[in-house]
Amino acid sequence: MRALLYICIGIILSILESAIFTFLPFEFFKPDLGLPLILYVSFFLEPQVGLIVSIFIGLTQEVFSSAPHGSIFFTKLSLFLIALFLKNKVYVDTKYSFSYYCGIFVIIESFLFIALSLVARGDTKNMLNVLFYTLPNAVFTGFLSLFVLPLVSYVNVKLSSRG
Amino acid sequence: MKNPLIIIITVIILTITFFVSTDTPFFVKGYTKLKDSVSIIAGPGLILMNRITQGTRDTIDLYVNLTNVKKENATLKKKLEALQLENQRLAEFERESQRLKDILSFSQHNPNTLIAAHVTGEDIKNWFKCIIIDKGSNYALREKMNVITPRGLVGQVIEAHRWHAKIMVINDTNSSVDVFIDGRNTRGILEGTGQAKLKLKYVRKTDEAEIGDKLVTSGKDTIYQKGLPVGIITTITRGQAGIFADIDVVPFNDFKKLEEVLVIKK
Repeated sequence: MRALLYICIGIILSILESAIFTFLPFEFFKPDLGLPLILYVSFFLEPQVGLIVSIFIGLTQEVFSSAPHGSIFFTKLSLFLIALFLKNKVYVDTKYSFSYYCGIFVIIESFLFIALSLVARGDTKNMLNVLFYTLPNAVFTGFLSLFVLPLVSYVNVKLSSRG
Repeated sequence: MKNPLIIIITVIILTITFFVSTDTPFFVKGYTKLKDSVSIIAGPGLILMNRITQGTRDTIDLYVNLTNVKKENATLKKKLEALQLENQRLAEFERESQRLKDILSFSQHNPNTLIAAHVTGEDIKNWFKCIIIDKGSNYALREKMNVITPRGLVGQVIEAHRWHAKIMVINDTNSSVDVFIDGRNTRGILEGTGQAKLKLKYVRKTDEAEIGDKLVTSGKDTIYQKGLPVGIITTITRGQAGIFADIDVVPFNDFKKLEEVLVIKK
């Protein structure tokens, strides 16, 4: 039930991301709204929920991207694994520290994507382009995670109180 | 290690995904089916969300227009304000009508070969330049079909799901188009840079090319049909080392502002 709800939120956020940013004139900043959700479920919920949510967010994001097959799915699942290893090792006490980790994970995701492109396909064509957008994306994702965190925390509290 | 089972499952899935990334046909086939099932849920959601955002944008535009009219015509009567607002709306309708007329006239010249589609979204990552349209395999769209507007080439269909299709725009870093310069005997490969400008490559310094020259598809790449207008040359640098000139091209279409496109059925 909990996983299903987070999957729905993830799909809605991904759809929002794809639909809304067509109307905005800038493309220098593009947040990854699925990432805060993956980090939240990985850090604060059961690992099986985190795995299921990461799989669905990865798949949904790939449906809305021209990225090579499996690449976004791979990076999202890797981020879940990294977050799982960092669970209880990092200190997330406020929404600002959460936002900081979101930014860091966007940077990690970019490097993972580049590494995967190199190893799996020997592709270096898009490397500079990915690096070019890494920092702005990290900053913007970190900023928007300040708003995503209260939303998912609220859902979690509501679910816990019902359970 | 608290969750060995979850970690093992994740590592297994990651390994399979790695093989998908290497484009191994067996894995890609299964993965595509999985993606298709997710797209059946997500596709209609995108169309719905696009309508909501479009409606919101229209309302905001209307509100902004109304505020401007009020500022400019504070002393005029309410009737005049209403008429001006109506006039603005009509102007918007006229622009839309003109755009649709262009598409219609283009379609009439190419009967049974074109499918008009509405742009509903764009690539979720800014690493790639892709747009999403509201027609998919339900309209017999297939990979490698050319996508155009009356102004020129947009790109090609790279994935067609049931409710939507993904179009790789020509300024994507993975895009290459074989083009020639209109009216001259010069050919080159137009490559996307991920930015607004494109690069025309493999044109020798001695080849005929001038700023302002128009580029059209040559059809030699077997993906894009011959004769589709692509863009215009904006800068040519012949001073650098090597045998090829460095040429920048601006596409005819502003891919950020596309609302409707046409897919050419093969």
